[in-house]
Amino acid sequence: MRQLHPTLALALLCCFSLLSCSQSHGDRIVVGSKNFTESFILGELIAQQIEAHTPLKVERRFYLAGTYICQQAMLAGRLDIYPEYTGTALTAILKQDAAGDKPAVYDRVKREYEQRFGLTLAPALGFNNTFAMEIRGEEARRLEIKTLTEAAQFSPKWRAGFGYEFMERPDGYRGLVATYGLNFAEQPRIMDLGLLARALKDHQIDFAGGNATDGLVPALDLAVLEDDRHYFPPYEAVPVVRQETLHQHPELANILAQLAGKISDAEMQQMNYAVDGKHEDARDVVHQFLKTKNLVQ
Amino acid sequence: MAGTQVLSGFNLQVTSGETLVLLGRSGSGKTTTLKLINRLVSPTSGEIRIDGKPHQQFDVIRLRRGIGYVIQEIGLFPHFTVARNIGLVPKIEGWPEDRIQARVQELLQLVGLEGTLASRYPHQLSGGQRQRVGVARALAANPEILLMDEPFGALDPLTRDEVQREFLLLQRQLHKTVVFVTHDLQEALRLGSRIALMEAGKLVTVLDPQEFLKSTDPWASAYVRAFGPGLEAATNRGTQ
Amino acid sequence: MNVGRFILQNHTQVVDLTLEHLWLVGVSTFLAMLIGIPLGILIAHRNRVSKPVLAGANIIQTIPGLALFGFLLPVPWLGARADRLAILALTLYALLPIIRSTYEGIRGVDPAVIEAGKGMGLTESQLLFQVELPLAVSVILSGVRVAAVISVGLATIAAAIGAGGLGEFIFRGLAMVDNRVILAGAIPAAILALLADFGVGWLERRLQPR
Repeated sequence: MRQLHPTLALALLCCFSLLSCSQSHGDRIVVGSKNFTESFILGELIAQQIEAHTPLKVERRFYLAGTYICQQAMLAGRLDIYPEYTGTALTAILKQDAAGDKPAVYDRVKREYEQRFGLTLAPALGFNNTFAMEIRGEEARRLEIKTLTEAAQFSPKWRAGFGYEFMERPDGYRGLVATYGLNFAEQPRIMDLGLLARALKDHQIDFAGGNATDGLVPALDLAVLEDDRHYFPPYEAVPVVRQETLHQHPELANILAQLAGKISDAEMQQMNYAVDGKHEDARDVVHQFLKTKNLVQ
Repeated sequence: MAGTQVLSGFNLQVTSGETLVLLGRSGSGKTTTLKLINRLVSPTSGEIRIDGKPHQQFDVIRLRRGIGYVIQEIGLFPHFTVARNIGLVPKIEGWPEDRIQARVQELLQLVGLEGTLASRYPHQLSGGQRQRVGVARALAANPEILLMDEPFGALDPLTRDEVQREFLLLQRQLHKTVVFVTHDLQEALRLGSRIALMEAGKLVTVLDPQEFLKSTDPWASAYVRAFGPGLEAATNRGTQ
Repeated sequence: MNVGRFILQNHTQVVDLTLEHLWLVGVSTFLAMLIGIPLGILIAHRNRVSKPVLAGANIIQTIPGLALFGFLLPVPWLGARADRLAILALTLYALLPIIRSTYEGIRGVDPAVIEAGKGMGLTESQLLFQVELPLAVSVILSGVRVAAVISVGLATIAAAIGAGGLGEFIFRGLAMVDNRVILAGAIPAAILALLADFGVGWLERRLQPR
């Protein structure tokens, strides 16, 4: 066999290394989620909703390790849709100050996303998963406190626990302490979000920075202190969608709109508890929910 | 080498059609002299003229294409066939393909090789065959001048004798102007029309072979002594 | 085996992620060749600059991969898109093996051949393209092979910063504590590395000068 012309071979190698088609899904929708229970429940919800109402195939890319990863995947076209929170989008992605009420924040995020990223928001899913400062139910009743302002005076006697992101985020620990004049005796413990509730129950901590829709709040008799000074921005759950995906599949807009306002705070708590606390399969939990809302058969 | 004076006080004229041998030992500057001619080396002072034209007036690439160059290691392109090796300069000079093929066959015959060797690769040839291909390659574009730097030094004595004889026959036919570097007095006497003896970067003397044998110059006679008896036979040997 | 069934059931996603991975590795290796081979030729011909250039490429290689990703994240235009950033980092990593193998390949060409070529009146570019490169191509490719294999491995880490690729399966599997998902990423990645090694290695052997 003749010797392969060397420069041709080099050229071939170059072409071959370029040979990777750019992202094009065809008739598939890729739904993403972050790596905590509530996020992939919502992702599963969106996925099943699309599967039930269109012939499109849905691919699930769940458990992505955070907001930045999801955003990058959306920008690169690797994801078509994923569930985000308006407050997170505002502060972590758009890097703006957390301020405003629910409609204002929603509108601002939607506008900026459309202008800057080619992404848009479907209508909010209903609940507001804002940060929830929790104490033990018995403590709240004994001290007769309902709001964070009332709780501030007791803070020196308490040990606090927060998730890592809360400690680092601009709309997290520092602002909270400043707004309410909290004064914890020691440095707060940094813990995995999933362990906070239990640690609170077991008296390892006395004040936990959880989320409003924590499944374990009702189960473990925890009390959520009211954010009476409105420090925390709204964190409405919204599906973030690529505008290009909507162009290719305009029917999706209506299908996602059907989910608008369908999930209350309590309902989200229940679904979270079913998966986290009762260890039910997320797919079944979501399917049940969609049935009760008459969105699927 | 920077800072070292390799040649000094050099003045030499080469006649068209002659075989001028640069004879000397290692470090005498003979290879440097050769390389000045095809500008692989540049002089720091002084001037070189070819056919009366000063060196600087030539485009260096055109100059080199008009001069055949054969070195001791030959330097055949291992990834080219014999035909492609020989035909390289004609090819880059834009000769048509059939003219190149014809020339390759012509040259193979001229240096005493079979035409079938054209499609072989250098690693498939013997040392002597490679040397002949090297000469054929140097002659391909029909240059007037041929530079040869100890071209037969790496060959065994028998083969060397053969190719020396063939060289003389070739010269008789082609009448090229050859500048030939060697440290072997026998070779110089047999092949050269004149011998330029060099030592330590200086030109010692320029004599034809017969004069060289009888010369009283200290260096020349030192050479003659070093090579021992039988030199006269070598001088007269020619194509035998 | 569980993993086998999982991969079959999710084959579209495995293919997606594999193509993403190939894209990252392919583009970065190509860019590294585009920059590294001419650079290697340059320093092979001008030996004086070879030391600083090789030293520079070596320094880049000593930076741990994940750290390099981290360094580049805050950079304005780059950090905005993770795949852009990942491709730059992978390209930088691929430079040293390619520059060095090109340098050695060119310098490894028999000096007698170069001298004969020069003396015959070949121009610099004729000498480069008709003699030096064809004779050095096998050695150059050995550097490309090393670069490609390193890239396949490093690209799995790129998923940590959101660049996609097979590493995403690995990280997701870790978060889900699901070995099948981890292996669905690790196995194709390993296969890709082996294919790159064999494939380019085959080309290397075919193009070896006699």
